[in-house]
Amino acid sequence: MKNENLKYRLMILPVFALLTLFMYIPVVRSIGIAFQHYTMFDLSKVKYCGLENFSKIIFDPDFNFFQILLNTALWIFVSLFFQFTLGFCLALLLKKPFKGRGIYSGLVFYAWALSGFAIGLVWAWMFNGQFGLANDLLLRAGIIGLPIGFLSDPNFALISVIIANVWYGIPFFAIMLLAALQSVPTELYEAASIDGAGPVAKLFRVTIPTIMPTIVSTTLLRTLWIMNFPDIIYAMTNGGPANSTNILATQMINKIYKNYDYGQGSALGVIIIALLMIYAVIYLKIASRKETSV
Amino acid sequence: MKGATKTIGTAARFLALAIFLILAIGPLYWIVVTSLKGPKEIYTSPLLYWPSHPGFASYVKLFSFSSFGTYFMNSLLVSVIAAAGALVICAFSGFALSRYKFQKEKGKILLAFYFTQMVPGFIIMVPLYAMMAKIGLTDNLLVLGVIYISMTIAFSTIMAKGFFDNIPASIEEAAMIDGCTTTQALFRIILPVMLPGLAAIFAFAFVNVWNELFLAVMLLSSEGNMTVPVALNSFISKAGISWDVMSAGIVVALVPTMIVFGIGQKYIVAGLTAGSVKG
Repeated sequence: MKNENLKYRLMILPVFALLTLFMYIPVVRSIGIAFQHYTMFDLSKVKYCGLENFSKIIFDPDFNFFQILLNTALWIFVSLFFQFTLGFCLALLLKKPFKGRGIYSGLVFYAWALSGFAIGLVWAWMFNGQFGLANDLLLRAGIIGLPIGFLSDPNFALISVIIANVWYGIPFFAIMLLAALQSVPTELYEAASIDGAGPVAKLFRVTIPTIMPTIVSTTLLRTLWIMNFPDIIYAMTNGGPANSTNILATQMINKIYKNYDYGQGSALGVIIIALLMIYAVIYLKIASRKETSV
Repeated sequence: MKGATKTIGTAARFLALAIFLILAIGPLYWIVVTSLKGPKEIYTSPLLYWPSHPGFASYVKLFSFSSFGTYFMNSLLVSVIAAAGALVICAFSGFALSRYKFQKEKGKILLAFYFTQMVPGFIIMVPLYAMMAKIGLTDNLLVLGVIYISMTIAFSTIMAKGFFDNIPASIEEAAMIDGCTTTQALFRIILPVMLPGLAAIFAFAFVNVWNELFLAVMLLSSEGNMTVPVALNSFISKAGISWDVMSAGIVVALVPTMIVFGIGQKYIVAGLTAGSVKG
């Protein structure tokens, strides 16, 4: 028995070696770098600088930090609300079998496997201010008289990137919720029918309560995932115009890619990790209380 | 009367399904159509919903003006290395975790794995770059492949554990009574049974690695080493790139994961719902 556990530990060892080298150590090091003056242009002067990076981020004259936080919250919660609602509708529509359901679900689910960055580029093209499909459709329908600069107008940019993100996230919820719906015992519906429940009553009194654990765990996990998903924004607007689509993650990437300021980039990373940890604790509390098992 | 409401209900359901279908394939249709147009037809107003002379000129341009063939092979190389590496490692680690006897320790290990799932790759790109630069291992596709293994290995292990949990331990115990070692039992008896699960694990890792952008941009610098997303990213900043070439590049970037999803949809869906944390 002891021998056996040693064998199991050896089998897990490579995973821990890889994670330690390429995940745990880098995470710890990035926290260290967040407190250093560390830029690509000034590599000879890498030194400890206390909270300077954090104060520079929070009081950045070019990028209003409060707006970045607000954008991040809107990006997460508006996307999540529509991803969930539409994904749930799609799952309900797919619950009853029909001819060709397999192929159909393949066609509505495929977006799950696509690159967020490439999908961002696709939507950037569709929202193009001059030759975009969105403008063409709206002009043809007579809804607008002049093309809209979806991605160049600060009033439209955030909505546009969120629309792309909603589109991208629907399949995940539809897949997860469909699996949950299919596991609801039919006897529950039969019993509800005997009690005279209509379709709406069945949805709210039987379906939703039964799949609640899946709803809770998928939305909680997805919240975290969307917060850490800068790919679409990076491809469509890269935080612009005028900071209107900038979220914590895109700001971090720009500090690193554009300004080569690794210190400030890492400080933003620490802010993201801190939010993530707070969130994870809340999540684990809720998940363990509900004993969700998705 | 009741029959009439039922017909209306069915009609409404199929209308809703049709709308979802159009919305789901619309963007894909649009990028494919754009890639089949010539540059003149892309920039017209009103737009053409089907090219008057569909052709592959954009693709020819894509592969001739850039080394897109090389980028494609680079992406394929790192994705296959990472997915295969993760698969081999998690065949052991997932099995071990599934059969682990110390429940407390097992819980702690799982927690440590789940933690890495919450940390996105771009968060650690600076320290990874600093580490690799110090030992001269930046701009190296093999190194990137190994880093990608570590990005996918926790999730692969969790998924594999889920599949092993479904296979009763009595199967390998019987084989071991017949004189097999644990490893022999694993390879000869258990893994063949869970081939679909292994396919799902491979597909997951492949898709995630194929689509990864930020670490690759950070760690790769020479043109010959660029992966497909890195190349597309460089197109944005390069002056004179037009949407005909860009759309062709996007289509080429999307096709491999679509094929993987098309083949493995059933198993991927099963894997996604069987104890996953990753979107």
